[in-house]
Amino acid sequence: MTGRKPFLDALVAALAAQDVVVSCLGANARWLPHMNVTVPVFALCDSMSAAVPLALGIALSRPERHVIALEGDGSLLMSPNVLATAAAARPANLTIVLWVNGHYESSGGQALPAVTVDWPALARASGITHVETADEPAALAPALDRARLTDVPAVLILPIAFDPAEQIPPYSERPEEIRARFSLKT
Amino acid sequence: MSGAERIRAGLEAAGVTLAASVPDTWIGRLMTTVRQSATIRAVDVAREEEAVAVACGANLAGGRGAVLIQNAGLLNCGGILAGLVELYRIPCFFIVSLRGDVRDPVYYHAPKGRVTSATLEAWRLPHAMADRAGDLAEQVRRGVEFAAESRGPFVLLISGEDLA
Repeated sequence: MTGRKPFLDALVAALAAQDVVVSCLGANARWLPHMNVTVPVFALCDSMSAAVPLALGIALSRPERHVIALEGDGSLLMSPNVLATAAAARPANLTIVLWVNGHYESSGGQALPAVTVDWPALARASGITHVETADEPAALAPALDRARLTDVPAVLILPIAFDPAEQIPPYSERPEEIRARFSLKT
Repeated sequence: MSGAERIRAGLEAAGVTLAASVPDTWIGRLMTTVRQSATIRAVDVAREEEAVAVACGANLAGGRGAVLIQNAGLLNCGGILAGLVELYRIPCFFIVSLRGDVRDPVYYHAPKGRVTSATLEAWRLPHAMADRAGDLAEQVRRGVEFAAESRGPFVLLISGEDLA
């Protein structure tokens, strides 16, 4: 199993001009400001479970954009209802990328409740009809391309290795900076 | 024009483009009217925190989002109000059904009615009570504008009587 950063590198490399990224709190939100991301990014530093509905509101409001929500397994487990809400709203321009490492990485690496969640089954049971799992970073870009072509919201599941020694940068942007810089005018 | 239609007119006049909602009896009646709008996208969500995030997303995207929920749902929203709306200073207009006050005939709402006002004050949420004897549409419009200008929340409390 591959660690997070190669997947995040692959995701950033696969972003297209019309994309918008919304990240849940945690490692991805902390990494993104240090990467060469040329599309608008709204990174959360709090509010578990908010990334998907926030992305949904953007997607419904800006159909010409493709909105990519980065969500963690612990965050989604807190409010899995967001999948059903997205499925019901049916935005074709929303892709939920679920990072599965079984840990609350942001709060010190505590394990999620000791149960194996069948994430693809959960997504499908919630009404998401386009569900893929990318086991390797190289599989992410083509999976994202397929997600862009569907006429329904998509879920891409990334099983990643939990690395307690990963050197994750601290939050380097204040929320007001993130808010001020986030613009979809172009 | 019914109270619900006047509220919808206020939302439309304020340029609201998206209304995210979890219904109760009163909000459900209001949403039936909101769904008839040609300019407001109704979004049904499963939890009230989602409604807040969806409405914030609309605002970040250049539209105007509103949240239509019961006071029980508002009580669920402390975390996201602090961690999204207030932290990132995003406008977020709420219409909240005030269940459990003296006008509410349903006994089991009473505990929520007893804590709603104190919670609004404790969370420092700007708010007002709708006055059906006045210009309801204008009260809604002013609330949306307050949220936009202050880049934060505003809560307009309504009763079932306001929808008639």
